[in-house]
Amino acid sequence: MAFDVSTEQAGDIAVITLSGELDANAAGSFRSAVEEAAAAGPKRVVLVMDKLQFMASAGLRVLVFAKQKMGTSVDLFVVGARDAVLETIEMTGFHHSVIMMDEYDASEIENY
Amino acid sequence: MDSLTVPGNLDSLQAIRDFVLAAAEEAGIDERSAYKLSLAVDEIATNIIIYGYGGSATPGDVVVQADTEDRRLQIVLEDTSPPFDPFSRGEPSGLDAPLEERAIGGLGVYLAKRSVDEFRYEYVDGRNRNIFVVNRSTT
Repeated sequence: MAFDVSTEQAGDIAVITLSGELDANAAGSFRSAVEEAAAAGPKRVVLVMDKLQFMASAGLRVLVFAKQKMGTSVDLFVVGARDAVLETIEMTGFHHSVIMMDEYDASEIENY
Repeated sequence: MDSLTVPGNLDSLQAIRDFVLAAAEEAGIDERSAYKLSLAVDEIATNIIIYGYGGSATPGDVVVQADTEDRRLQIVLEDTSPPFDPFSRGEPSGLDAPLEERAIGGLGVYLAKRSVDEFRYEYVDGRNRNIFVVNRSTT
Protein backbone atom coordinates (compact mmCIF):
# COMPACT_ATOMS: atom_id res chain seq x y z
CA MET A 1 0.00 0.00 0.00
CA ALA A 2 1.27 3.43 -0.90
CA PHE A 3 2.85 5.57 1.78
CA ASP A 4 1.13 8.79 2.83
CA VAL A 5 2.26 11.43 5.28
CA SER A 6 0.49 14.56 6.49
CA THR A 7 1.57 17.22 8.95
CA GLU A 8 -0.37 19.59 11.14
CA GLN A 9 0.70 22.14 13.71
CA ALA A 10 -1.27 22.65 16.90
CA GLY A 11 0.44 25.35 18.93
CA ASP A 12 3.94 24.14 19.66
CA ILE A 13 3.05 20.53 18.85
CA ALA A 14 3.66 19.09 15.38
CA VAL A 15 1.58 16.05 14.49
CA ILE A 16 2.82 13.88 11.63
CA THR A 17 0.44 11.13 10.54
CA LEU A 18 1.87 8.18 8.63
CA SER A 19 -0.02 5.52 6.72
CA GLY A 20 0.76 2.66 4.37
CA GLU A 21 4.23 1.22 3.93
CA LEU A 22 7.33 3.17 4.92
CA ASP A 23 10.26 1.69 3.00
CA ALA A 24 13.45 3.25 1.62
CA ASN A 25 11.48 4.52 -1.35
CA ALA A 26 9.04 6.40 0.88
CA ALA A 27 11.53 7.62 3.49
CA GLY A 28 12.23 10.81 1.51
CA SER A 29 8.69 12.12 1.89
CA PHE A 30 8.72 11.30 5.61
CA ARG A 31 12.01 13.18 5.92
CA SER A 32 10.55 16.18 4.08
CA ALA A 33 7.59 16.18 6.47
CA VAL A 34 10.00 16.19 9.44
CA GLU A 35 11.95 19.09 7.93
CA GLU A 36 8.74 21.01 7.36
CA ALA A 37 7.63 20.37 10.95
CA ALA A 38 11.06 21.30 12.32
CA ALA A 39 10.96 24.65 10.54
CA ALA A 40 8.13 25.78 12.81
CA GLY A 41 10.24 25.06 15.90
CA PRO A 42 7.84 22.75 17.76
CA LYS A 43 8.42 21.69 21.35
CA ARG A 44 6.94 18.25 20.77
CA VAL A 45 6.60 16.07 17.70
CA VAL A 46 3.92 13.39 17.57
CA LEU A 47 4.13 10.60 15.00
CA VAL A 48 0.76 8.93 14.56
CA MET A 49 1.39 5.40 13.29
CA ASP A 50 -1.83 3.44 13.76
CA LYS A 51 -2.32 3.20 9.98
CA LEU A 52 1.33 2.42 9.27
CA GLN A 53 1.48 -1.15 7.99
CA PHE A 54 5.21 -1.50 7.41
CA MET A 55 8.33 0.30 8.54
CA ALA A 56 11.87 -0.51 7.39
CA SER A 57 15.09 0.81 8.94
CA ALA A 58 14.89 3.70 6.47
CA GLY A 59 12.00 4.95 8.61
CA LEU A 60 14.06 4.55 11.79
CA ARG A 61 16.80 6.62 10.22
CA VAL A 62 14.32 9.46 9.74
CA LEU A 63 13.56 9.26 13.49
CA VAL A 64 17.29 9.67 14.15
CA PHE A 65 17.33 12.56 11.71
CA ALA A 66 14.34 14.16 13.47
CA LYS A 67 15.99 13.94 16.88
CA GLN A 68 19.28 15.30 15.57
CA LYS A 69 17.60 18.06 13.58
CA MET A 70 15.33 19.31 16.35
CA GLY A 71 17.62 18.81 19.31
CA THR A 72 17.33 16.83 22.50
CA SER A 73 14.87 19.22 24.14
CA VAL A 74 12.16 18.28 21.62
CA ASP A 75 10.30 15.13 22.69
CA LEU A 76 9.29 12.62 20.04
CA PHE A 77 6.06 10.68 20.62
CA VAL A 78 5.09 7.55 18.72
CA VAL A 79 1.36 6.89 18.92
CA GLY A 80 -0.51 3.69 18.11
CA ALA A 81 2.25 1.73 16.40
CA ARG A 82 1.08 -1.74 15.42
CA ASP A 83 2.75 -4.77 16.98
CA ALA A 84 5.02 -5.50 14.02
CA VAL A 85 6.25 -1.91 13.80
CA LEU A 86 6.56 -1.75 17.58
CA GLU A 87 8.72 -4.86 17.56
CA THR A 88 11.15 -3.23 15.11
CA ILE A 89 11.31 -0.08 17.25
CA GLU A 90 12.06 -2.19 20.33
CA MET A 91 14.54 -4.52 18.60
CA THR A 92 16.67 -1.52 17.68
CA GLY A 93 16.37 0.15 21.08
CA PHE A 94 14.55 3.19 19.70
CA HIS A 95 11.87 2.90 22.38
CA HIS A 96 14.41 4.28 24.87
CA SER A 97 14.56 7.56 22.98
CA VAL A 98 10.95 8.14 21.95
CA ILE A 99 7.83 8.16 24.08
CA MET A 100 5.52 5.34 23.11
CA MET A 101 1.76 5.81 23.52
CA ASP A 102 -1.08 3.47 22.64
CA GLU A 103 -3.50 6.26 21.84
CA TYR A 104 -3.31 9.96 21.16
CA ASP A 105 -3.64 11.68 24.52
CA ALA A 106 -3.45 15.44 24.02
CA SER A 107 -3.20 16.37 27.69
CA GLU A 108 -0.50 13.81 28.41
CA ILE A 109 1.50 15.06 25.42
CA GLU A 110 1.07 18.70 26.42
CA ASN A 111 2.02 18.08 30.02
CA TYR A 112 4.85 15.67 29.42
CA MET B 1 9.73 -22.73 -7.27
CA ASP B 2 8.25 -19.27 -7.92
CA SER B 3 10.40 -16.36 -8.91
CA LEU B 4 10.15 -12.65 -9.55
CA THR B 5 12.58 -10.50 -11.51
CA VAL B 6 12.50 -6.74 -10.99
CA PRO B 7 14.82 -3.88 -11.94
CA GLY B 8 17.27 -2.82 -9.21
CA ASN B 9 15.59 0.41 -8.18
CA LEU B 10 13.65 1.48 -5.09
CA ASP B 11 10.31 1.35 -6.89
CA SER B 12 10.72 -2.43 -6.93
CA LEU B 13 10.67 -2.82 -3.12
CA GLN B 14 6.89 -2.96 -2.94
CA ALA B 15 6.70 -5.76 -5.53
CA ILE B 16 9.42 -7.69 -3.68
CA ARG B 17 7.53 -7.48 -0.37
CA ASP B 18 4.25 -8.44 -2.02
CA PHE B 19 5.91 -11.47 -3.60
CA VAL B 20 7.44 -12.55 -0.27
CA LEU B 21 4.16 -12.10 1.62
CA ALA B 22 2.27 -14.13 -0.99
CA ALA B 23 4.85 -16.93 -0.76
CA ALA B 24 4.63 -16.85 3.05
CA GLU B 25 0.85 -17.04 2.96
CA GLU B 26 0.97 -19.97 0.55
CA ALA B 27 3.44 -21.73 2.87
CA GLY B 28 1.13 -21.19 5.84
CA ILE B 29 3.58 -18.95 7.68
CA ASP B 30 1.92 -16.98 10.49
CA GLU B 31 1.38 -13.25 10.06
CA ARG B 32 4.10 -12.11 12.46
CA SER B 33 6.79 -14.35 10.94
CA ALA B 34 5.65 -13.35 7.45
CA TYR B 35 6.01 -9.66 8.30
CA LYS B 36 9.48 -10.21 9.73
CA LEU B 37 10.52 -12.18 6.66
CA SER B 38 9.27 -9.38 4.39
CA LEU B 39 11.21 -6.88 6.54
CA ALA B 40 14.42 -8.93 6.32
CA VAL B 41 14.16 -9.28 2.54
CA ASP B 42 13.23 -5.59 2.16
CA GLU B 43 16.29 -4.47 4.16
CA ILE B 44 18.73 -6.53 2.11
CA ALA B 45 17.05 -5.62 -1.18
CA THR B 46 17.32 -1.95 -0.17
CA ASN B 47 21.07 -2.34 0.44
CA ILE B 48 21.51 -4.09 -2.93
CA ILE B 49 19.66 -1.31 -4.72
CA ILE B 50 21.26 1.64 -2.89
CA TYR B 51 24.82 0.37 -2.34
CA GLY B 52 25.20 -2.51 -4.80
CA TYR B 53 23.63 -0.94 -7.85
CA GLY B 54 23.76 2.63 -6.52
CA GLY B 55 25.16 5.17 -8.91
CA SER B 56 24.71 2.94 -11.93
CA ALA B 57 22.61 4.48 -14.68
CA THR B 58 21.60 1.00 -15.75
CA PRO B 59 21.25 -1.08 -12.59
CA GLY B 60 20.92 -4.83 -12.95
CA ASP B 61 17.97 -6.88 -11.83
CA VAL B 62 17.02 -8.31 -8.47
CA VAL B 63 15.72 -11.86 -8.68
CA VAL B 64 13.60 -13.22 -5.83
CA GLN B 65 12.97 -16.95 -5.56
CA ALA B 66 10.61 -18.68 -3.17
CA ASP B 67 10.98 -22.35 -2.42
CA THR B 68 8.59 -24.08 -0.06
CA GLU B 69 9.84 -27.29 1.48
CA ASP B 70 8.29 -29.61 4.05
CA ARG B 71 9.48 -27.75 7.06
CA ARG B 72 10.53 -24.37 5.79
CA LEU B 73 10.16 -21.55 3.31
CA GLN B 74 13.34 -20.33 1.66
CA ILE B 75 13.61 -16.98 -0.09
CA VAL B 76 16.69 -16.20 -2.20
CA LEU B 77 17.61 -12.72 -3.38
CA GLU B 78 20.06 -12.68 -6.28
CA ASP B 79 21.81 -9.70 -7.83
CA THR B 80 24.78 -8.98 -10.08
CA SER B 81 26.20 -5.99 -8.21
CA PRO B 82 29.77 -6.18 -6.81
CA PRO B 83 30.25 -8.89 -4.15
CA PHE B 84 28.95 -7.74 -0.78
CA ASP B 85 28.84 -10.00 2.23
CA PRO B 86 26.43 -8.56 4.81
CA PHE B 87 28.29 -10.51 7.49
CA SER B 88 31.49 -8.57 6.77
CA ARG B 89 30.20 -5.64 8.78
CA GLY B 90 30.07 -5.84 12.54
CA GLU B 91 26.99 -5.36 14.62
CA PRO B 92 25.84 -1.78 14.96
CA SER B 93 27.00 -0.36 18.27
CA GLY B 94 25.05 1.75 20.68
CA LEU B 95 21.62 0.19 20.25
CA ASP B 96 20.81 1.56 23.68
CA ALA B 97 22.30 4.97 22.93
CA PRO B 98 20.01 7.97 22.60
CA LEU B 99 19.00 8.71 19.01
CA GLU B 100 20.86 12.00 18.88
CA GLU B 101 24.13 10.15 19.45
CA ARG B 102 23.55 7.39 16.94
CA ALA B 103 25.45 6.70 13.78
CA ILE B 104 23.05 6.17 10.93
CA GLY B 105 23.68 2.81 9.34
CA GLY B 106 24.00 -0.90 9.89
CA LEU B 107 20.46 -1.24 11.22
CA GLY B 108 19.08 -2.93 8.12
CA VAL B 109 21.44 -5.92 8.23
CA TYR B 110 20.97 -6.13 12.00
CA LEU B 111 17.19 -6.34 11.57
CA ALA B 112 17.46 -8.82 8.71
CA LYS B 113 19.58 -11.23 10.75
CA ARG B 114 17.16 -11.13 13.66
CA SER B 115 13.95 -11.40 11.70
CA VAL B 116 14.32 -14.87 10.18
CA ASP B 117 15.27 -18.33 11.44
CA GLU B 118 18.29 -18.50 9.16
CA PHE B 119 20.14 -15.95 7.04
CA ARG B 120 23.15 -16.75 4.87
CA TYR B 121 25.13 -15.20 2.08
CA GLU B 122 27.09 -16.71 -0.79
CA TYR B 123 28.70 -15.42 -3.96
CA VAL B 124 28.25 -17.84 -6.84
CA ASP B 125 28.88 -17.39 -10.56
CA GLY B 126 29.12 -13.62 -10.35
CA ARG B 127 25.95 -13.29 -8.29
CA ASN B 128 25.32 -12.27 -4.71
CA ARG B 129 22.89 -14.71 -3.12
CA ASN B 130 21.19 -13.70 0.13
CA ILE B 131 19.23 -16.61 1.55
CA PHE B 132 16.45 -16.31 4.13
CA VAL B 133 14.79 -19.28 5.79
CA VAL B 134 11.65 -19.36 7.93
CA ASN B 135 10.55 -22.58 9.60
CA ARG B 136 6.97 -23.63 8.99
CA SER B 137 4.90 -24.63 11.96
CA THR B 138 4.59 -28.40 12.00
CA THR B 139 1.00 -28.68 13.08
